Amino acid sequence: MSSLREKMNRLKGIKPADAEDQAAASPASADLPEKQPVQEPSASEAAAGGLASAGPEWDRHGVKLVANEAGDCLERRITLPLSHRSGHHFLSEWAGTAGQLGAFHPEAGEAPHAENVLFLDLETTGLGAGTGNVPFMMGLAYFEDGAFILRQFLIRHPAEERAMLQELLLLLPRFRWLGTYNGRSFDWPLVQSRFIMNGFRGTPELLHLDFLHPSRSIWKNTLVSCKLSHVEEERLGIFRTDDVPGSLAPALYFHYLAEGDPDVLEGVFRHNEQDMVTLACLGIRFGHLLAGAIGERMPMPEENEERLRTGLWLEKMGRTADAERLFAMVEASEEPAPSAWHSLAMRAKKTGNWDRAVVLWQKAAACMRTALIPNVDAHVELAMFYEHKRKDVHSALAYAEEAIGLFACRPHAYRSAKERAGQEALLKRRDRLRRKCGGGGGRHAGG
Amino acid sequence: MKKKTLSELIQELRENEHIANWHEIEPQEARTRPMPESVDPRIKDALGKRGIAELYTHQSSAYEAVRKGENMVAVTPTASGKTLCYNLPVLQQIADDDSSRALYLFPTKALAQDQKSELNEIIQEMGIDIKSYTYDGDTSPAIRQLVRKAGHIVITNPDMLHSAILPHHTKWVSLFENLKFIVIDELHTYRGVFGSHVANVIRRLKRICAFYGSSPVFICTSATIANPRELAEHLTGSPMRLIDDNGAPRGRKHFVFYNPPVVNQALNIRRSATVEVNNLAKEFLKNKIQTIIFARSRVRVEIILSHIQELVKKEIGPKSIRGYRGGYLPNQRREIEKGLRSGDILGVVSTNALELGVDIGQLQVCVMTGYPGSIASSWQQAGRAGRRHGESLIVMVAGSTPVDQYMVHNPDYFFERSPEAARINPENLIILVDHLKCAAYELPFKEHEEYGPLDVADIMEYLVEERVLHKNADTFYWANQSFPASGISLRSASQENVVIVDQSDVANVRIIGEMDRFSAMTLLHDEAIYLHEGVQFQVEKLDWDHKKAYVREVDVEYYTDANLAINLKVLEIDKTKERRAGSLHFGDVTVNAIPTIFKKIKMSTFENIGSGPIHLPEEELHTSSAWIEIRQVDDDIGAKTLEQLLLGIAHVLKHIVPVLAMCDRNDIHVVPQIKAAHTQLPTIFVYDHYPGGIGLADEVYKRFDEVRDAALNMISGCPCKDGCPSCIGTEMEGSDLKRRSLRLLERL
Repeated sequence: MSSLREKMNRLKGIKPADAEDQAAASPASADLPEKQPVQEPSASEAAAGGLASAGPEWDRHGVKLVANEAGDCLERRITLPLSHRSGHHFLSEWAGTAGQLGAFHPEAGEAPHAENVLFLDLETTGLGAGTGNVPFMMGLAYFEDGAFILRQFLIRHPAEERAMLQELLLLLPRFRWLGTYNGRSFDWPLVQSRFIMNGFRGTPELLHLDFLHPSRSIWKNTLVSCKLSHVEEERLGIFRTDDVPGSLAPALYFHYLAEGDPDVLEGVFRHNEQDMVTLACLGIRFGHLLAGAIGERMPMPEENEERLRTGLWLEKMGRTADAERLFAMVEASEEPAPSAWHSLAMRAKKTGNWDRAVVLWQKAAACMRTALIPNVDAHVELAMFYEHKRKDVHSALAYAEEAIGLFACRPHAYRSAKERAGQEALLKRRDRLRRKCGGGGGRHAGG
Repeated sequence: MKKKTLSELIQELRENEHIANWHEIEPQEARTRPMPESVDPRIKDALGKRGIAELYTHQSSAYEAVRKGENMVAVTPTASGKTLCYNLPVLQQIADDDSSRALYLFPTKALAQDQKSELNEIIQEMGIDIKSYTYDGDTSPAIRQLVRKAGHIVITNPDMLHSAILPHHTKWVSLFENLKFIVIDELHTYRGVFGSHVANVIRRLKRICAFYGSSPVFICTSATIANPRELAEHLTGSPMRLIDDNGAPRGRKHFVFYNPPVVNQALNIRRSATVEVNNLAKEFLKNKIQTIIFARSRVRVEIILSHIQELVKKEIGPKSIRGYRGGYLPNQRREIEKGLRSGDILGVVSTNALELGVDIGQLQVCVMTGYPGSIASSWQQAGRAGRRHGESLIVMVAGSTPVDQYMVHNPDYFFERSPEAARINPENLIILVDHLKCAAYELPFKEHEEYGPLDVADIMEYLVEERVLHKNADTFYWANQSFPASGISLRSASQENVVIVDQSDVANVRIIGEMDRFSAMTLLHDEAIYLHEGVQFQVEKLDWDHKKAYVREVDVEYYTDANLAINLKVLEIDKTKERRAGSLHFGDVTVNAIPTIFKKIKMSTFENIGSGPIHLPEEELHTSSAWIEIRQVDDDIGAKTLEQLLLGIAHVLKHIVPVLAMCDRNDIHVVPQIKAAHTQLPTIFVYDHYPGGIGLADEVYKRFDEVRDAALNMISGCPCKDGCPSCIGTEMEGSDLKRRSLRLLERL
């Protein structure tokens, strides 16, 4: 064996001395956060009744042994009362809002009720949906009998995965809806892949409530990131303390695999637990939004951009009246909101409401005269409108000339290839308009 | 001017005094058998519409073998209807049972595309709802879903199988559960490093099939090589039936050896093959005869292309003559292939990239610039010319290298010798370990699971210690955050290619090609002249850290040629054989390579007109090597003479070894050292140019007698006085080196 070892190291370019150094600086200690002080399991955490002990080192974390026909795995079960509050919302708000989420799937002809939504969040050993990426922790949560039940399954080694999946399989028939954050493209396909890997076939399909999609629609321009941890701080008022970021979870799990010490997983359990509570809060938030409770049960967005995005999402979800209310606020806003106005104008243009569109474009165009990095989209639209709809070539020319002037103010770094093409088109438009305006070269209106 | 016909040009060529040998291959009548009873009437009709009422003997044998459930490899020359060898049994099976699935593997995306078009034409005529799709990097995400769920025939390449399909096999359940056939076309291309990787990919594929309960039949087709059956068995790990009763007809072929005239009697220097090729090709092209010209290197392709375009621009315009080689972008290649099929493109200058079965139709004339390096390769290139009916002509213009001259002077050797064997070494430790990681990623690995001939449990334990795998009871599980397939390229040691960026037009900077890192050291260094589609570019800056070469179009009268300095250290000696004047060893070595200078060489006269330094970091390679240490030399030999002697013998070996080992000349390197670092003895190293080695040096070690005898023959058979480019080179004068080389070799 030693010769194989030497050969491998040589091929990797490691000299024998280096190899020893490497072994000494084993990956375990360095970058991992310090161990959390172990807390006494609270009364509610101990509710995992009926399950056997997996040993004292697990008991301390409220983790019990689960045995089913597919083998063993572990479970940490927590029951939160509906009076539990996380950030702005109480879990008790769920019962009144869940039904609204039916708008996610109008084609299904049914709406969720409080107890048939399963929340799911996986912690995995890697990225992507490849078959070597294993969910080592499966967080499931649901409302039942006036409480929020959190069930976190953990596998002590990859061979226990089957038993963990078996637990999911037993639970699935009770639910019709699945609440996740990015579960449509990550968690659920991965679960399906794991079912196949473990020889389970024909698993039931649930209706997805993937809260990443509305989060992106509404916040993509007003939040720096749509990661769950960022969204919850900025919009749900949830601030975690001593959180272990999800990106560290794989390393912690591998550390546990190598050393067998459950304490290193404490932080992962807590992280996953909060993720599921946040999922429920997001469900409540979007439920309120769909119920038209904006500005009542939830705050009115401060920025015009977010009001616009919220309106557009509500419109897509079939809540037109609420959407219009938000659009009207944006239109009437005292604050300059050129890009929101332009978007609304484009929306009006599509429906043929030219008067409304022109007013909005003019408001947007006016903002550009003082903008640091001006954008000429509204000007171009106005030039087109006056040229083709109104047949008023002089006004059209004035807007085109002004746009060209504004374009020159844009810093070079902001000029993409597409914009350069736009500029070309603009120059052509101006030349054509000058000819139409009556012969000659036409004078430079704007300078 | 009246155009001459090919027959007239052949008659004229017969009078040419530089023809060294004229070999005619008689036409062959078709040998056929009736369409088998079991073939579905809809398939019969579809084939009937294309004028196929009967099968050639090899097609018929292939069909029967596959119907019996036998794995098989069919050896088929170009244009013999090889695709029907696999399409017929596959389509028949799907017609019988709609749930059946087949996986087609082609070495390149281009070949896969060709196959899809051809297949879909037949399927349409059959009127059966059979879905065939290509699956490669260009397939859009929307189509991918469809391919996975509903494709009866999935056409892909080994790279895609390795990095996209196998690691995501759970998305391909309907394919793997119902997989009846795996078709491997162009089997002969899976040799050396690439073949060794692919053999491992196929092991992984078989594991996945077994997991889903399928055991597909392998259907392989290969060009003529010495060991098609052995290669197919080694590559697939399954027993194979060989089908070689080719029944396709062919027209008369003239295979001509052309030896350029000697221009310097004393040094036995001949006129450059490139110049002769230019002139020959010009004659054919001027008379509108479709011609393919093969050259051995990318640079040579570009030089010939620019010359010929210049020579015939008045008669036919430069756009009808195109280049074709690795480094061109795919859509450019597609356009050229299409032009050749339609006849819009009259001539093409290519590297061996067109040896593969890319469909460019059948051309009338093939001109080779020098011996392509192997008999198998020669026949594949020759196969590009030749139609089923009517004459075709193949001209091999010999270069002045030892092998070329040997072939020209010994045509019987060429025509009677069986082509070379293709070898792979799937047990190369680096390759094996890489694929074991992928295999464990795809499915947990059982302790006693078989994976090739070696017991791999040791390697798995090693990977557990490296914390790549986790062992529980008798099973190894993947336990790492990475995605192993993404770091493993099947094609070369290094994943990183150098991207070539043309910044001639500042407003329109564009990528025109790419090149592997090692080649880039000598072809894309600062100030190098890089030729792309006959256009000259000068490298303004090679950004080694970011793997980008910035080039600008230029118009100069020279090209560049770079030198590489090599340093060798012996790490471990595995095997030793004592010889009379020294000893032969096999073991592990470290090679350090650094490019030193480049020369500027004038295109018209090939004279050296300047040089400059190259500043690039050293590249390091651990590999296996065979080396011969020389203990006894003639007493009167001075250090200078000894050095020349080693250089001379190395020069010969450099040419002979790739021929015997059937590999690319870049796969194996020969380096002489007057004082090897570990022994201070004069030594000649022959090493695999791939980390960990791929078995070529081992082959040299085992077959050293054969190598030595071939070297002796080559030197003694050369008509020159005392060394010429065709044997030991011309580095030296008046030292009686030819005799001394023979004497030394005889004692080894």
